[in-house]
Amino acid sequence: MRDLLIIKHRWLVIIATLLVVGIAVFPLFNSHINPDIESYLPETMPARMSEEKIQEIFGESDPIIILFETEDVLNDSTLKRIRSLSKGFNRMKEFDMVMSLFDAKNIKGEYGSMIVEPVIERIPNTDKRRESLREEIIANEQVFKLLVSEDFRYTIIILNSKGDFPDEVLMEAVNGSLEEFPGDEKVTIFGHPYSRYEVNNAVARDFMILMPLGLVLMFVFLIISFRQKRGAFLPFLVVIFSIVIAMAMIPLLGWEISVIGILVPIMLIAIANDYGIHFIAYYQELITAHPDMPVKQIVTEAIRYLKKPIIMTGLTTIVGVGGLLAHIMLPARQMGVAAGIGIAFAVLLSLVFIPAVLVMLKKGKIPESSSGKGNTLMDRILSSIARYTTTKPRLVIYFFATFLIIVVFGLSRFQLAADSSGLFSKHHPYNHTLSILNREFGGTKSLRVVFEGDIKDPAILNRMDYYEKEIKKLPEVGNVTSIASIIKIMSKAINDPGDSLYNRIPYTREGVAQYLMLYSMSGDPEDFEDFVDFDYTKALFSVQYQADNMNTLRKIENTVLSLIAADANVTMVGGYSLVEKDLNQAVADGQVHSLLFAFIAIGIVLCIIFRSIYAGILGSLPLLFTIISLFGLMGWLGIELNIATALLSSIAIGLGVDYSIHLFWRLKSEVKSGSNSEEAITVSLRTVGRGITINAFSVIIGFSVLFLSAFPYIRSFAFLIITSIALCLLASLVLVPAICMLSTPKFLKK
Amino acid sequence: MTTYSTMKNSVKIVLIISLAVLSSNNMIGQSAREISDKAANAIDFPSMEMTSTLKIYDNKGRERVRQLVTASKKFNGITKTMIKFTAPADVKGTTMLVFDNAESDDDMWIYMPALRKSRRIVSSEKSKSFMGSEFTNADMSRPILDDFVYEILREETIDGISCWLIEARCKDEDVEDKNGYLRRVSWIEKGTYLTHKVAYYDLDNELYKVQYTRDFRKQSSGGYFAFFMEKENVQNGRKSIMAIDKFQEGSSMSESAFSPNQLGK
Repeated sequence: MRDLLIIKHRWLVIIATLLVVGIAVFPLFNSHINPDIESYLPETMPARMSEEKIQEIFGESDPIIILFETEDVLNDSTLKRIRSLSKGFNRMKEFDMVMSLFDAKNIKGEYGSMIVEPVIERIPNTDKRRESLREEIIANEQVFKLLVSEDFRYTIIILNSKGDFPDEVLMEAVNGSLEEFPGDEKVTIFGHPYSRYEVNNAVARDFMILMPLGLVLMFVFLIISFRQKRGAFLPFLVVIFSIVIAMAMIPLLGWEISVIGILVPIMLIAIANDYGIHFIAYYQELITAHPDMPVKQIVTEAIRYLKKPIIMTGLTTIVGVGGLLAHIMLPARQMGVAAGIGIAFAVLLSLVFIPAVLVMLKKGKIPESSSGKGNTLMDRILSSIARYTTTKPRLVIYFFATFLIIVVFGLSRFQLAADSSGLFSKHHPYNHTLSILNREFGGTKSLRVVFEGDIKDPAILNRMDYYEKEIKKLPEVGNVTSIASIIKIMSKAINDPGDSLYNRIPYTREGVAQYLMLYSMSGDPEDFEDFVDFDYTKALFSVQYQADNMNTLRKIENTVLSLIAADANVTMVGGYSLVEKDLNQAVADGQVHSLLFAFIAIGIVLCIIFRSIYAGILGSLPLLFTIISLFGLMGWLGIELNIATALLSSIAIGLGVDYSIHLFWRLKSEVKSGSNSEEAITVSLRTVGRGITINAFSVIIGFSVLFLSAFPYIRSFAFLIITSIALCLLASLVLVPAICMLSTPKFLKK
Repeated sequence: MTTYSTMKNSVKIVLIISLAVLSSNNMIGQSAREISDKAANAIDFPSMEMTSTLKIYDNKGRERVRQLVTASKKFNGITKTMIKFTAPADVKGTTMLVFDNAESDDDMWIYMPALRKSRRIVSSEKSKSFMGSEFTNADMSRPILDDFVYEILREETIDGISCWLIEARCKDEDVEDKNGYLRRVSWIEKGTYLTHKVAYYDLDNELYKVQYTRDFRKQSSGGYFAFFMEKENVQNGRKSIMAIDKFQEGSSMSESAFSPNQLGK
């Protein structure tokens, strides 16, 4: 028998592998991380387009909010601290809009004159002055319940950045100032720059500590299962090498690593050891079956038997993650490409590098279970499964059907994440701050509508005023601001109560212009920049509200949109919450497209491989079962779908088919050699079933470490990976054999 | 001082008149404060009438134009100034009346024809913008000499004119807050005491606004009057220009015309 080329040139294979991986390390140093997920939204997405245009005219709508909590915020030391901080922030180039008690204006009428002055001109030094300041604040509708809470226990500073500063720079500026001006108040921070910063640091740190720990556990589990160090080392090296190659592709293809990019190594950890594990398992099985066969022959035989199923599983997995190419988010498409290349490399290494190394090692001591006749816990469990599926296949199928029906009901409770608040635990300061901002300050979400036309025209202003009144009827809406509300405030300062012009928009355009002229004599020209542009042709109408789920977001959006639908002057609708909502919607829709694509493509590949349509359907069944169950369980357990959890379904696709292909392959070879269905299923489960189980459990154990994380985000992430792998495993090893038992598929006999 | 001074003060600054040409002997040993005082005195103008155009530009070069007719006259030590908008159309007829009380806060009224109402205006900050322009109430009015500490920085020639560079630094934080700047540096022409350029530095001591006064024209009384004033905020790129279209010394208006009750009539 002639040696295979791989065996003949084993040194060349090993050196070449190490060389390629070694070279691939270099591009890794050129990797750039871009944590701004919105920058990947398709530029044609309406919410993003509008929001960008609105930002050009009226600035950012994604502020950092600093919340101060104390007995009474009007006390001397708190006010002094707020004043120092506000002064400092105003001078920083990082922030272009600072709003605090010391930046807000008071427009009031007094003795027949209109007065525009800062809310706090002088910090009150007596109780009497403090109480009169309190009364002024209560009367100021631009401040009360917007910058100071009703009970005066809370006050906020709102900072809008210019947009081109990284989150670290902004957060360092904020933290630095808070340290420079210390105080007794309880200070917490809210806002996307803060949450992104927290995620990129704290969450990433958690991940970086826990994941290696998980890999160690996975490694230990593989050693215990295979009772041979090579059984752990070789599949493990394949995982590491394929991660290096996949991650090197990102800078090589000119891409940046996105938040989603971190999922590439995770996917590979879950998927790429699959091929190596099956190789080792079959290698061990051959050694026990043929103790006298030389190593070269064993390895050759293993390659001969495994090259088809390994290439097929690799191919279906690549096609599965290739479904991501149909995703509308660029990073998801990039993830599909990088993971696909990583998987292809892992397949190659499992069939080339692993045999080359194994050929050079002595056989060593092989555990009994590898022959399918062992008596370990895993062996006993696999035997019981074989017994049940072969004796009571109908019961097994009913059980799965019942489970599926129950979880399908969960689909109706399934929700998309509305924002990033789910990133942190309920006790994290972020969510504490969020609930106070919702309760005391009218909410943290904003929706922005741009009106274009002659903004001084009373007809437009009256419509804005009408929309404001209607929108304020929604209980979730905290505040609505526009130039119309400011003009009404002025009308109260200029006119006396009872006057026909009091608290309303003037009747004529001249009246409006003259109010504004009057204001310009006493206020700051920049006071209106947030509401109207320089030549009074564009005005911003902002709705501030609270929403903790997609339904509320949609309700507010729909109410506002239907109100303004017929308004010819409305040209754009934007706002950060809208972009965020659309982002999550896009991710979910994108995932549906990817899944559908992957599903069909995998079915077709299976049909071609086994030359049977039934094989395509039966092989995709574990996949379908897993994905429906996964989303159903998420519904039941209240786990929301966000960017990361959506893409996790790709892992299920990668693994779900692999398990069935390995099983089919073995069943086929057993049936071919004359076994009946029962024997074929029993042998297959105890042999290839072992490989599949070791693979699945190594991943489950590795990822279970993530449950130690303080972040619910990471915990639900781990839960979903583990659940999807467990579901795939059950469907492949229990459901599929039960179906095969009922009627042995023809394709297995070919 | 209040915004009132706006118009009158625009008048004051815009109207820089040289009192006398001093001999070189007198110039020797003049303190920075004396020079500043003379430069301020140079713009006191008992009565006048003029029409002017105020142009306000944002950082994208978009323009807002306002046309004004101004009359100013001194009655019993109080300079009374009336400013009437003639354009744009939506504010046409809007009239401001300002009483510059020497001893107390200034009084200011505005008449709004669309509402047929006049209202007093109160504003406490000198650093406030003058009608949404880059000019502020503070630099439109005669500065209070004692609020600043003066120093001659050096001498310099700009556009062929030999000038003193006089720095006026706010004496304390209250004055800084009131004026909205830390210090200003003025280019004051030797001999005429005409101020050609003023540079303002913000509270971080960074260059903030630069003001140029140009087109000084000799009037019949022998004094000079500047027909063009420009001020740019170098930090945000906004700019405002005040251009005088017509100017005459003296006014024939009676005191009763400068009454708040007569506004709009």
